[in-house]
Amino acid sequence: MSPSLLLFWPLVALVVAASAAAALARNLVYAALSLGVCLAGVAGLYLFLQAEYLAVIQMIVYVGGILILILFGVMFSRDLLGTRTHPGWGARIQGALVFLVVGAAAGRTAWVAARQGMVPASASPLSAVRSDPTTWVGNIATDAPVHLGSLLMDAWLAPFLVIAMLLTVVLVAALGLVRKESA
Amino acid sequence: MNDILLLGPESLAPYLWVGAMLFTFGIVACVVRRNAVGYLIGIELMLNAGVLNAVAYGRFRGIQAAADAQILGLFAIALAAAEAAVALALVYAVFRTFRDVDLDLVRTLRS
Repeated sequence: MSPSLLLFWPLVALVVAASAAAALARNLVYAALSLGVCLAGVAGLYLFLQAEYLAVIQMIVYVGGILILILFGVMFSRDLLGTRTHPGWGARIQGALVFLVVGAAAGRTAWVAARQGMVPASASPLSAVRSDPTTWVGNIATDAPVHLGSLLMDAWLAPFLVIAMLLTVVLVAALGLVRKESA
Repeated sequence: MNDILLLGPESLAPYLWVGAMLFTFGIVACVVRRNAVGYLIGIELMLNAGVLNAVAYGRFRGIQAAADAQILGLFAIALAAAEAAVALALVYAVFRTFRDVDLDLVRTLRS
C-alpha cells in the first residue's frame, strides 16, 4: 500500500462517520459541527482528486460560510438538545427503511458504474503520472487554477454570468424575506 | 512532492461509495429530522455527494473533463451557498411567525 492510501482510507472513514453523525446526532449543535468535519473531509477528497482549487473553495464557502449560517440557524431552535423533537420509533423505522432502500440503490449504482469499465486506463490521467510525471504536474497540479480561470472566461462564460446574476437576486431576495414588515 | 503524498486510489469506486453514503445519510436526515436546520444539513450532504461524484468522474475521464467537472463543482457550490442563504432567511421567517423551527408546526402559510 502506498503511503498516500494510508491517508486516503482514514479520510474516507472520517467523512462517512461524520456524515452519519450529521444525519443522526440528537444534539443539533453536534450535527452541525459534524457537518463541518464532513465538509472538510470532502475537501480532502478533492485534494486526492487533484482538484486543489475546488478544495480551497469548499473550505472557504462551505466550512467558512454555509456552516456559520447553519450554526446561526441552530440558534433559532427552541429544542436544541432534541429531547422534544427527537424522532420516535415510527420515524426511526422510517429512517432505517429509507437508509436501506436509498443506500442499496446508490451503492448498486456506484458498484455497477465502477465495474462497467467507466475508467478507461488509457484515458485515465493516473496512467500519465507513471509514464511522464513532469507533464502531469505541469498540466494539472500547478497550472490548474489558471486553466480553470481561462475556461470560466471562455467556454463557461454564459453560466458564469447567469450565476453571478442569480447570486445578486438571491441576496436581495434573502434580505427581502427577513426584513421587518413596516405596518 | 504533491503527486507522491496525495495520489488517491487508481479507481473510481471508493469515491462513488463515499458519494453514495453521503447521499444516503442526507436523505435519511431529511426524513428523520423535524427541525428545519437539520433538514438543511441533509440537503447540504446530498449536494456534496453530487459534487463529489461529478469531480470524481471528471478526474478519471481525462484532463479536459477534469477541468470541466471542477467548474461544474464550482457552480454547484455557488448555488448551494445561495440556497443556504435563502433557506436561512426562510427559517428566520418561520421562526418569527411560529416562534420555533419545528417543521411539524408549520401547517399554514399565514399564522
